[in-house]
Amino acid sequence: MIQLFHVYKRYPNGTDALVDLTLRVREGEFVFLTGPSGAGKSTLLRLLLVMERATEGQILIGGRNIHVLQERSIPFLRRNIGIVFQDFRLIPRRTVFENIAISLEIMGMGGKEIDRRVHQLLDGLRLGHRAGAFPGDLSAGEQQRVAIARALVNEPAILLADEPTGNLDPDLGQEILQLLIEISRRGTTVIVATHDHGHIERHGMRTLVLNRGQLTDDRPRGAAPTVRQSQVVPVHGTVHALAASGDDEPLQEVLTDAEDLS
Amino acid sequence: MKSGAQPIYMLRQAWLLVRGSPWLTAVSALTIALALTLVGLLAMVLFNAGHLLRELGQNLTLSVYLKDSATPEQEAAVRKQLEGHAGIKRVKALSREEDRARNRRLLSAELLQGLDEAAIPGQPMLEVEIDAELASRGDVEALVQWTQALKHVDSVQDVDFGAEKLRLLFAMVEIARTIGLVLSVVLLASAMFFVFSTIRLAVFSRKDEIEVLWLVGATPSFIRLPFLVEGGLQGLAGAVIATGLLGLLHTELLGLVRDVYMLNVNWSLLPPGMVVWLVIGGPAVGLLASALSVGRYLKV
Repeated sequence: MIQLFHVYKRYPNGTDALVDLTLRVREGEFVFLTGPSGAGKSTLLRLLLVMERATEGQILIGGRNIHVLQERSIPFLRRNIGIVFQDFRLIPRRTVFENIAISLEIMGMGGKEIDRRVHQLLDGLRLGHRAGAFPGDLSAGEQQRVAIARALVNEPAILLADEPTGNLDPDLGQEILQLLIEISRRGTTVIVATHDHGHIERHGMRTLVLNRGQLTDDRPRGAAPTVRQSQVVPVHGTVHALAASGDDEPLQEVLTDAEDLS
Repeated sequence: MKSGAQPIYMLRQAWLLVRGSPWLTAVSALTIALALTLVGLLAMVLFNAGHLLRELGQNLTLSVYLKDSATPEQEAAVRKQLEGHAGIKRVKALSREEDRARNRRLLSAELLQGLDEAAIPGQPMLEVEIDAELASRGDVEALVQWTQALKHVDSVQDVDFGAEKLRLLFAMVEIARTIGLVLSVVLLASAMFFVFSTIRLAVFSRKDEIEVLWLVGATPSFIRLPFLVEGGLQGLAGAVIATGLLGLLHTELLGLVRDVYMLNVNWSLLPPGMVVWLVIGGPAVGLLASALSVGRYLKV
């Protein structure tokens, strides 16, 4: 679903946010993205959403090379990627229903269909009774569930979450993570950027560790963390990612695909 | 933009923007209304002045009085010279008797009593009908100068040109046109500035919303449209107010002209299609101003 090949991101001030990043996330996979502040977690999410462009390298999403994506195609790519933030980013002037409906309104969906989909989702998230409330009236946990609903309502293939539990107390955070894992079980590819090791260890999902823009560890699902982050010796991204993901598709073949697309 | 739900969405969002800052929106709409009213008033004045001048122009004649000594050849020469000039429709020769007969009709019966036939003024003359379409001031000026030159022709005694009276009217129309144009431009510019500022504030107040829309995959036009619609709505509101004001002014003015000047105005004081122009022009001004504002402040 998501493939990165030797991706570099260098900012004009000379900072290297991502260095030679190569990785692959399969369809329906749940992945934690972790690392200290400034490791490049958010940068990676921003690249996937094409809020920024990579300085070098190729990024494929659903087989499409987004490195060569034209500006006018970006909105249509984003409709396939839901995003959830630490600070929820709900619009305070709009009701819960309206906040979620945005994702469908932009696609030109009719009112009745929007109504049906939003209410169905709200009921599923136990927020049916809050449809008419404003974000300010909701608890933090409810607000994050609304934000997740907004990201999910148009049934995207990928869901990105940037520190989704950062503003929540541990129990609520746990609840939100369970929800995200459940979402991935239904076929959505989920990437959760977090620096909360408690969550990572508790769930034992695949974990990508970034440090100074480099992929320093890629722990497969179910693997106990064997090395501490600080002990990880940077390994060349390509080899490491392939070895860790257990994917046997030759890199050369994938690269050829990427070139075909571009 | 593939569904019928979109226009409703855009209008609803624009209406929410209006509700977000009702006073600013009202000021913008009123400024547009004021500017459009002035433009409309200017159009009315110019249209009616033109109408009036055309009406007067239909009775516009140039009287070329010939000397008693003028020979038929000299008369024919003057006539030829007149007929060859632009803006001249018809030249009619009147003998002394015909002129006298015409003057007698103009004088009251009382005055004519006991008056010797020879005392009634009569002069061989050429009555020249000026083209009624002679509307622009420059043409009349040229004609006036030309008729002055005619006075120096040997066989011509005097030239009387009614159009000289029109010169004042022309000058007044000219002044009204200049002042009106300057004021209109200034007012339209300030109206646009108001709309521009209102939209800028609306964009700033919706920064969070714009970002969310952008992230969930809204196209740039989807994000921009509500702001453009808001500008258009302000312009439309202004146009409706201006149309109402001008309608009121028109009724008042028509009544004034009829009562005070006892003039039977048989034409509409409103230029044809003006209402249509106003109703198109208002939203166009609003749209243009909001497009400038959105282009400048809404970077997506």
